[in-house]
Amino acid sequence: MNELKSIAKTYKGTRMFLVLIAILSGMTIIGQAYFIVAIVERIFLLGQSFGDIVPLLGWLALVLVARAGLTFLSGRAGVRMAAKVKNDFHRKLVTKFLRNPVQSSLQGQSGQKVSVMMDAVDEVDSYFSHYVPQVIQTSIVPLMIIVVAFTQHMYTGLLMLITAPFIPLFFIIIGIKTQKKSEEQMDKMATFSGRFLDTLQGLTTLKLFGRAAQQKESIRKSSLDFRDATMSVLKVAFVSSLMLEYISMLSIGLIALELGLRLVLFESVTFFTAFFLLVLAPEFYLALKELGSAFHTGRGSMGAAKKIADELAQKEQAVEWGEARLDTTVPPAIALRGVGFQYGEQGFALKDIQADIKPYEQVAIVGRSGAGKSTLLHLLAGLIGPTRGEMIVEGRSLSDYKEADWFDGLSYISQHPYLFAGTIAENISIGCKEQASHFDIEEAAKKAGIAELIESLEKGYDTPVGEAGRGLSGGEKQRVALARAFLKKPSVILFDEPTTGLDLHTERILQASIKELSQGSTVITVAHRLHTIKHADHILFLANGELVAQGTHDELMKSTLEYRNMVSVQQGGVTE
Amino acid sequence: MKDLAIVIKLMMVEKKDVLTSILFGFLAGITAVGLFASSGYLISKAALMPPLYALTVMIALLKLFGLARAVSRYGERYFSHRATFTILSNLRVRFFEKLEPLAPGIFQKYRSGDLLARIVGDVESLQNFFLRVYYPPIVLVIVFLSTVVFTSFFSIYIALLLVVGLILTACVVPAWFAYSQRKIDHNVREVRGELSTEVTELLYGFSDLKIYQKLDDKEQMLTESSMAYINEKERDGVQSMFNQSMNTMVSLLISWSVLALGAFLVVEGQLDGLFLAMLVMISLTVFENATPMALLPSHLEESRLASHRLFSVVREEPLRVEEPVLSLPQDQALSVEMDDVTFCFEEETRRALDGVSLRLEAGSKTAIVGPSGSGKSTLMQLLLKIQRTDAGEIRLAGTPISQVAQEDIWTNSNVVLQENHFFYGTIRENVALARDGLSDEELIDALDKVQLSHLSLDDEVLEKGENLSGGEKQRLAIARAMLKGERLWLLDEPTSSVDVLTERTIYHHLFEQAVDDTLVLISHRLTGLEKMDQIIVMENGTIVEAGTFDELMANRGYFYDMKEIEKSVLL
Repeated sequence: MNELKSIAKTYKGTRMFLVLIAILSGMTIIGQAYFIVAIVERIFLLGQSFGDIVPLLGWLALVLVARAGLTFLSGRAGVRMAAKVKNDFHRKLVTKFLRNPVQSSLQGQSGQKVSVMMDAVDEVDSYFSHYVPQVIQTSIVPLMIIVVAFTQHMYTGLLMLITAPFIPLFFIIIGIKTQKKSEEQMDKMATFSGRFLDTLQGLTTLKLFGRAAQQKESIRKSSLDFRDATMSVLKVAFVSSLMLEYISMLSIGLIALELGLRLVLFESVTFFTAFFLLVLAPEFYLALKELGSAFHTGRGSMGAAKKIADELAQKEQAVEWGEARLDTTVPPAIALRGVGFQYGEQGFALKDIQADIKPYEQVAIVGRSGAGKSTLLHLLAGLIGPTRGEMIVEGRSLSDYKEADWFDGLSYISQHPYLFAGTIAENISIGCKEQASHFDIEEAAKKAGIAELIESLEKGYDTPVGEAGRGLSGGEKQRVALARAFLKKPSVILFDEPTTGLDLHTERILQASIKELSQGSTVITVAHRLHTIKHADHILFLANGELVAQGTHDELMKSTLEYRNMVSVQQGGVTE
Repeated sequence: MKDLAIVIKLMMVEKKDVLTSILFGFLAGITAVGLFASSGYLISKAALMPPLYALTVMIALLKLFGLARAVSRYGERYFSHRATFTILSNLRVRFFEKLEPLAPGIFQKYRSGDLLARIVGDVESLQNFFLRVYYPPIVLVIVFLSTVVFTSFFSIYIALLLVVGLILTACVVPAWFAYSQRKIDHNVREVRGELSTEVTELLYGFSDLKIYQKLDDKEQMLTESSMAYINEKERDGVQSMFNQSMNTMVSLLISWSVLALGAFLVVEGQLDGLFLAMLVMISLTVFENATPMALLPSHLEESRLASHRLFSVVREEPLRVEEPVLSLPQDQALSVEMDDVTFCFEEETRRALDGVSLRLEAGSKTAIVGPSGSGKSTLMQLLLKIQRTDAGEIRLAGTPISQVAQEDIWTNSNVVLQENHFFYGTIRENVALARDGLSDEELIDALDKVQLSHLSLDDEVLEKGENLSGGEKQRLAIARAMLKGERLWLLDEPTSSVDVLTERTIYHHLFEQAVDDTLVLISHRLTGLEKMDQIIVMENGTIVEAGTFDELMANRGYFYDMKEIEKSVLL
């Protein structure tokens, strides 16, 4: 709750406003009681005419409208504060995401991050829209009522003063205990519905094994068991609110008794005072009880706030850029000087990579899975920055250049290219800076061997794809990525070669396309195809994050046992 | 609304709890009115200096009302929550009953698991329907009517005024606001969806965005949709605050009118002044119950949407099943035949299978290979009758499967799918699913055969087998299939995440057990296919080649090319 509390503290203006509203609300509550009682007294006891009370009726109407209006103003201030806070969280989270997401997507946490941005931020809402206004309201209104009570009739004031602490006390004693239990129960609830989901998702398996029918009873049974467990917790919560209700009832009863006795037996209070206080007493206890329910609302936001705070506190490994210009029309000379990379504190490390990549070279990064191939490719792309050493481009550190210049000359064809929500044409033209002409897009699609497929679709290049659109197969996505590259005409191409699963057609297109693209650029491939490796000018052979050897295929076959083993074992495994 | 009717029907199964909740709700409401009425009366009476005993009786009554109110409130909460949880349980069971016959076909239609997750959320959110939408208005109306009847003994005009108040605060005002709120709610959902898409694209497509330098645009769009969402949400919040305050104001003004009218009537001599305080107190109290009605429409709308989503999934009747007249022979290897089978997924224009014919002898071993998306798995689904052919015929042991019940096919086959589900529980529970009466020894033996001897039967399995690796899950699925021991094997890429060596050992055991059985293996690798009786090569939903390994290699066709590429792939 502390994070939220300190945020709430920064909204001084809103808080002042809420305090003001609370004071005015207190005045309307007291005013309402005062005018009602005054009118009843004049009519009932003093026998005044209707005309005499008309001004009072007017005042009462005014007070009632004001009371409703103030409730609205207080609620609105809360809602607005919540909106500002959420806006702030969104901004901070986006900034965070922009600085650090490659690592997170490597660690498979993207889904979790989406949920923080969407759900956790939403959950924070009620703290500011309900809890804060309520707390301010309840810390002021009862105080005003008790002051009025003291001025009217000291004994009522005293009774309020003595009984009031029992309500918060009771909250502390019972409330917190049940709170913990009921929070545990909420967790169980989540687990429970997780299990239900588990059963639904496994329905195919259940049916294939002829086990679906018996699941029905087990769903019913576990549902009812869950109900009984929940009820036993809720019962305690309900009993505690019963006690609270009873305490306030008892207190109001005591006040009424005392007032009644004084009114009748001792005639030491007037009807006006007695009635006035009797109307105010329930308002007093109601306000106290509401504080309790407000706490409940506020608690829900705490867990969410923690999630956001954790996300924002994550260490950043941002890539640095400078201002120097880079000519991207021709492939640059790239050199890795003792480059290393590490995820977080321990994590995976790439160690001391030393290599030179000449313009127009065909480079293959080779190694077993987990050797650090993808990390090296990400480093070369400038998607992550080296934690050790430097990547030198045309004689200067990559971090000296303008980010835009570097990426202007770069294409990255990953194993799983991402398609954005939009049309196929839009997805292809994302590759180039200027607005691409329709002709260019079609030309690129043709070169990537996907034009035929696109034209066979009903809406052709305007077919929506991505999130809500048509799904494309892995091979088709690869070809869209190729089309992007053809359109962009980069000077450096990074290519993560697919491991399996492509059709012959895409296989051939990939090989031919990369060959064509390599005419005008340096191509660095994480290679899985022997064909690619054999034709590479320069192989970087990685093992356990280290560059074990580099050279051409023939050189490595001669010089490096590990490399030879890898190639021959794989081939042996295949031909067997 | 039709869907809510289903929910209401399920609710009424718990009639007793529902009625008890309403009863206690009524008692809680009416005793509150009684409490404040009597306190108003008491104080007025006291002003007239009554004998002490009258006062004592009144005070006792006051206490009684207070106690009764607190206890009834407890009863109301208890029974309404119990009813709610029972109703949710009924809902889950009912939904399961409806979904069960549609599975697994329905999962093809909704490929993403999100749908099911949302459904589970919808079931949970329907708890508000009973608690906030269904019974509170009933309680409100009964309490109000009782109060009106009581009031009418004192003044019929004031009673009428209360009726007007009820109509205004419980119907007119909420309905009016519900109407104006509808559009905002719709907008909120829409912009939330947009924002969610933007965030998802940012995170999942980050590398591409970065390299194509669209991050700034994306940030811009993201900021805009975040603003739009928050603004819309703010409008929604302010609007609902306004609605609530408005309803409060209307009810306060009704109480004001009661006071004014009462005062007028007293002055005119039509009402005893003694009751004026009481009537005002009654009015103030009874309308307290009406204020939450302002929120009812939004809860109603939420429940309506939830139930609609929930039941629209299972609304479609299971495909009309031709009366299964034939059953498959037991305990013998089945032959498999397909004649010119064509199939197209709903809402797709391309045919997933196009004129596929094949013949697999009883006891033969067949491999189906081809790139992803070539129709291999679809073929399997048709064999299992998870999907129905659009044209052509499939026969098992010479029997057209259109005349065989789905369950009959499943009972007679050992199936390993690409995605195999593992449930929360233990390894034992998950493997013993295969067949009744399996001993621990048999289970352990099966685990050994699939090279999973490092797992113990009591090891915990999390939902969806989250704590198992892909390879472990596949091996467990194979163990399950082996334990089932039927004579038709349908295996869809069963070892794609298992290394070559382990795969070889597992296949050794598998083929040993299946020596006389019919076996269909969809394979992603082209290794180890030499001993197959037949290899079927698929592309784009058609069979491009078929034959033994040696025949295909000699042909130098599609299979040969694929094999060449595979040879050159280094992992």
